[in-house]
Amino acid sequence: MLLIHCPYCEDTLPELEFTYAGEAHIARPADPSALSDEEWRDYLFIRTNARGPHYERWRHVGCGRFFNALRDTVSDRFLMTYKAGLPRPPLPQETVE
Amino acid sequence: MSRYRIMGKGRVDHSAPVSFTFDGKTYKGLRGDTVASALLANGVHLMGRSFKYHRPRGAVTAGSEEPNALIGTSRGAGRFEPNTRATVQELRAGLVTESQNKWPNLSFDLGAINDRAYMLFSAGFYYKTFMWPKSFWDKVYEPVIRGAAGLGKSPTEPDPDRYASRYLHTDVLVVGAGPAGIAAALAAAQSGADVTLVDENPEMGGSLLSDPAVQIDGKPAWDWVEAQLGRLRAAGVRLMTRTTAIGYYHQNMVGLCQRLTDHLDNPPKGAPRERMWRVRAGQVVLAQGALEKPLVFDGNDRPGVMLAGAAQTYLHKFGVRVGDNPAVVTSHDSAWYAAFDLADHGARIAAIIDTRDAVRPDLLEAARKRGIKVLASHTVTTTTGRSRVKSVRAALVRGDTVGAGHDIACDCLLMSGGWTPSLHLFSHTKGSLAWDGQTFLPDRKTEDCEIAGAGRGLWGYQPVLADGAAAGLRALAGLGRAGHDACFTVGNDRPGTGVTHTELPTDGNAGKARAFIDFQNDVTAKDIRLAVREGMRSIEHVKRYTTNGMATDQGKMSNINGLMIAADALGKAPPQVGLTTFRPPYTPTSFGAFCGYLRGETFQLTRKTPIDPWAEANGAVFEPVAQWRRAWYFPKPGEDMHAAVLRECKATRASLGIFDASTLGKIEVAGPDAVEFMNRIYTNPWTKLAPGRCRYGLLLGEDGFIRDDGVIGRLSPDLFHVTTTTGGAARVLTMMEDYLQTEWPDLDVWLTSTTEQWATVALNGPNALTMLKPLVQGVDWDDFPHMSCGECTVAGLPARLFRLSFTGEIGFEVNVPARHGLALWTALMEAGKPYDICPYGTETMHVLRAEKGYIIVGQDTDGTVTPADAGLDWAVCKAKKDFVGKRSLSRPDIVAKGRKQLVGLLTEDGSLLQEGAQIVLDPDQPKPMRMVGHVTSSYQSTMGHPIAMAVIEGGFDKMGETVFVPMPDGVRKARITSTVFYDPEGLRLKA
Amino acid sequence: MMTSQKHDFAAAAIRIEDVAPTLRLSLRVKPAHRETLGRALGLDLPTRVGTRAAANGTEALCLGPDEWLIVAPEGTDPAAPARAAYAQAPHSLVDISDREITLRLSGPAVLDVLASCCPRNIAAMPVGSAVRTVFDSATVILWRDGPTDFRMDIWRSFVPHVCALLAQVQDEVMADL
Repeated sequence: MLLIHCPYCEDTLPELEFTYAGEAHIARPADPSALSDEEWRDYLFIRTNARGPHYERWRHVGCGRFFNALRDTVSDRFLMTYKAGLPRPPLPQETVE
Repeated sequence: MSRYRIMGKGRVDHSAPVSFTFDGKTYKGLRGDTVASALLANGVHLMGRSFKYHRPRGAVTAGSEEPNALIGTSRGAGRFEPNTRATVQELRAGLVTESQNKWPNLSFDLGAINDRAYMLFSAGFYYKTFMWPKSFWDKVYEPVIRGAAGLGKSPTEPDPDRYASRYLHTDVLVVGAGPAGIAAALAAAQSGADVTLVDENPEMGGSLLSDPAVQIDGKPAWDWVEAQLGRLRAAGVRLMTRTTAIGYYHQNMVGLCQRLTDHLDNPPKGAPRERMWRVRAGQVVLAQGALEKPLVFDGNDRPGVMLAGAAQTYLHKFGVRVGDNPAVVTSHDSAWYAAFDLADHGARIAAIIDTRDAVRPDLLEAARKRGIKVLASHTVTTTTGRSRVKSVRAALVRGDTVGAGHDIACDCLLMSGGWTPSLHLFSHTKGSLAWDGQTFLPDRKTEDCEIAGAGRGLWGYQPVLADGAAAGLRALAGLGRAGHDACFTVGNDRPGTGVTHTELPTDGNAGKARAFIDFQNDVTAKDIRLAVREGMRSIEHVKRYTTNGMATDQGKMSNINGLMIAADALGKAPPQVGLTTFRPPYTPTSFGAFCGYLRGETFQLTRKTPIDPWAEANGAVFEPVAQWRRAWYFPKPGEDMHAAVLRECKATRASLGIFDASTLGKIEVAGPDAVEFMNRIYTNPWTKLAPGRCRYGLLLGEDGFIRDDGVIGRLSPDLFHVTTTTGGAARVLTMMEDYLQTEWPDLDVWLTSTTEQWATVALNGPNALTMLKPLVQGVDWDDFPHMSCGECTVAGLPARLFRLSFTGEIGFEVNVPARHGLALWTALMEAGKPYDICPYGTETMHVLRAEKGYIIVGQDTDGTVTPADAGLDWAVCKAKKDFVGKRSLSRPDIVAKGRKQLVGLLTEDGSLLQEGAQIVLDPDQPKPMRMVGHVTSSYQSTMGHPIAMAVIEGGFDKMGETVFVPMPDGVRKARITSTVFYDPEGLRLKA
Repeated sequence: MMTSQKHDFAAAAIRIEDVAPTLRLSLRVKPAHRETLGRALGLDLPTRVGTRAAANGTEALCLGPDEWLIVAPEGTDPAAPARAAYAQAPHSLVDISDREITLRLSGPAVLDVLASCCPRNIAAMPVGSAVRTVFDSATVILWRDGPTDFRMDIWRSFVPHVCALLAQVQDEVMADL
């Protein structure tokens, strides 16, 4: 069971208070009708499935907020968490193998 | 006094005899004994039969790593436990134990014929031997092999015991309360840190309990332990005995299994048997010590052959001399001390056989003083004795030459192949290991942990104590705290070194030697070499091919020996071959401990509505729906489900039915942008919906498939009362919150779950309006047509009233604050008496809605159904530029021909179809048939014939056509119809 | 919160009682309008999740950056002035008095009892704080009113499950192993 830092509660709390919510930084297109079928397909279904650092979303039951996290899918470590709406932070220097 | 018990010796209570039985015979032991120590005190070494060859076996260890002495214990009905280690099970009054894997009895076992066929049962035997004929696989080989091999029998009764769970947050968790662990805990307990010290044994002290002559800071070992435990207690350190750290998980989470009652004569009422602790530690100190390795030689598994350290433990902790005339074979100094201690307590040591050329002079001198014969540079080639070892054959080794052996008579044989640091928990963290020339030691860490003492290869009490204290200080430093260094003065220390071997050299046929590595799985050195010869290169393959290390002891004694021999056979250095991964749990752990409270009544969360008590009191049969239990139907005496449901349906269509709809999800959507939000989320248009009116709402995913539906009322311009399906409530709220928080944070609208704020009672039937009217205040009935809503009072209770129908009859849903739910129900039941009001359950609700063709999301849809597929195009607002899922409705595969569409089905012979049954167009086509759809809903109806709904490829264009439904008892012919079977014009709603 | 029965450890170790209903409102408002709305309510709405503020018998608990739980005695209407401020400070105020049932848990064993099913470090909660967390599979709001004095708001339908678990844990505490 992991510990996760909620950027809204500013507390590091047990995973059982959180739910996973898919890959992060996939914004809903402002005008879906302007998209081609291929573009819309990519928005719906195509994900990075990263091996290593992965930008993803979680939700904390405590404050009810969705937030973003950078988690290493190999080591299952959270590298950082940050509030929804903030820009994608760069990858840390030393990425875990 | 038992034959082998030493008066007054050990940590057992000599004034408290305890009786127990083993295989029906009564024995006497002492309070503080384990089953193994009590049997050994009675001279019983034969405690079980081995897994594959049924060889006689005795206890080889004195601890939780025991591979051989597995017994069944019984504490009454449902409380039989197989495979308990006799070396761990504490004695208690009336304990009943039995040996395993023998027939007809332990000393004469017919299964031992397997041992004669030793050469047949070598590594991978079941991959090779039982290939043909195929018909024998499940009829002969499987049952016979299963019957003959294996360990204890599983109990069949439910476990009547309770089990508990606990979370614990601590600054420092120290695993293992031997000298290193105690020193670490003492260091960590400085400066107020919260420290927890756990040990799997009933008493703390670890190896010091087996080495009482050692002096620490001028005190005898046991006094020192006592004093330090007192200091730890005074410092507020949590001390937990009988508590095994079973697994080490991410971010310093450690699982502990605490055994609470198995050792008690009379456990207190309500006490759980075991408690699983989920510990989150700031820092972990692993001080688990080391496990002694057996030496590998022919006949190293006979009863009476045991680890030297175990014999020392039986002597000092339990006051038991494991034999009168022990021989010792060793490659490590530690066994010499065991020999000396036994000699000093009346045993006549037959010989100390050391594989090494050079032995420390002080050890030779101490042996000489005791008159013990020493054979250095010797090997052991075999042993004799069936139910107990009788002699050992020693031979001089010069270079590669094994000299002539000579037999040495003995009544037990103590062996030591050196010590393996207990790496299991460290290994769970994926920490890396380093080879030091003799064994693997912990290397790179992945967690905030320290490893101390023998667990990282140190030997002798002085360095181990200092290392423990240093580890405790490092743990403190990791918490940002400081402490003082500790210094220990050790007298009578017992330093030692040793060497690691493959099989011991022999003058016999090594290919026929029964030189065991994994005692529990009956794996020999020959098996490992055979596996390598047959092409296994990876240690993981060798492990699986031979099953070495795969028994319940998880290779505690066998992994390094297996590796040494595999590496030798491969011609590689051990680190090039590598070690297999240890996995949790460290020792076998009961399922009960993992379940904790989650069994029986509390197995799973079950939600109940405010009206549930009435349903229960009135004989409802319940069904689980999502997390809820819902009244399914209300049978009258003598009625089966079919009769009850038909009666409930007819009563509702004829006059009046009442239904507990409290489980419906309810969401309050409030704020200036509420209508904008609703327009974006639901397919329907909401702008023109007037306050006081409601509308069916359809919710899609972005993929265009139906996710949920429900009736939504607009209570004021800025306030919508949204209802969802029972199972969809949480999911829909989460989805809405997600859009609001991450896509449209600019909207001024907020969502609040009110599912449990309101109890909801549905009234349906031609008399619903007539019956309800007199109870309602605050509604203008001239302006309250079908699909209206408003706030009012019902039966004097504050209410939100909805006029809607899920049955095709005149219908209402009355919402009152949940505390009044039962009062409302009772009042409506009373007021409904003149109309023969009939309570109905979910099954009747399903039938009535199916007769009208109303879908149930999740039953008639499955996540691949679009509004068009379900015939719900009318609910999709084409004029809206965007809503969730809209873009997907024009994707090529969504607009393609041949999609499965929701239609009605009527069988030609009037029989009932099975839900889930597949549909074909031609029943005579060759198999596998082309399936064009499946039945989604099927019921007996009020119309005298069954009805069904189905999704069928191109179904809308096939109205009136015939399809076929193969079912287990024959193929049914069915006609495709509209889904609306009852009152297609909707006249009854207007009545 | 020790009782006078100090000689009887087991009986006093943990007490679990129902708490009479109170008025409970879920307040949602954006940070920009927090102060305005707080003034209307006569409360300085706290901004740190888990902290509480009280005035004139009304208490506000910050559950999230835009979410507060308002608790007041039954029969009062502390929200009336807030409704009047809707145009300047749009918000949502929903009556959820009947959504949850509140239990009071107290006694020297209360931290052990909560640690049976709460993964969060309850002992580290400051007295006077409250959090939304989980008790087994139920989402609850846990209020720490004193060192060994807690309240737990539980969604109504989850109460039978939570109470069945608590009964087992109570037995366990009584057995004192």
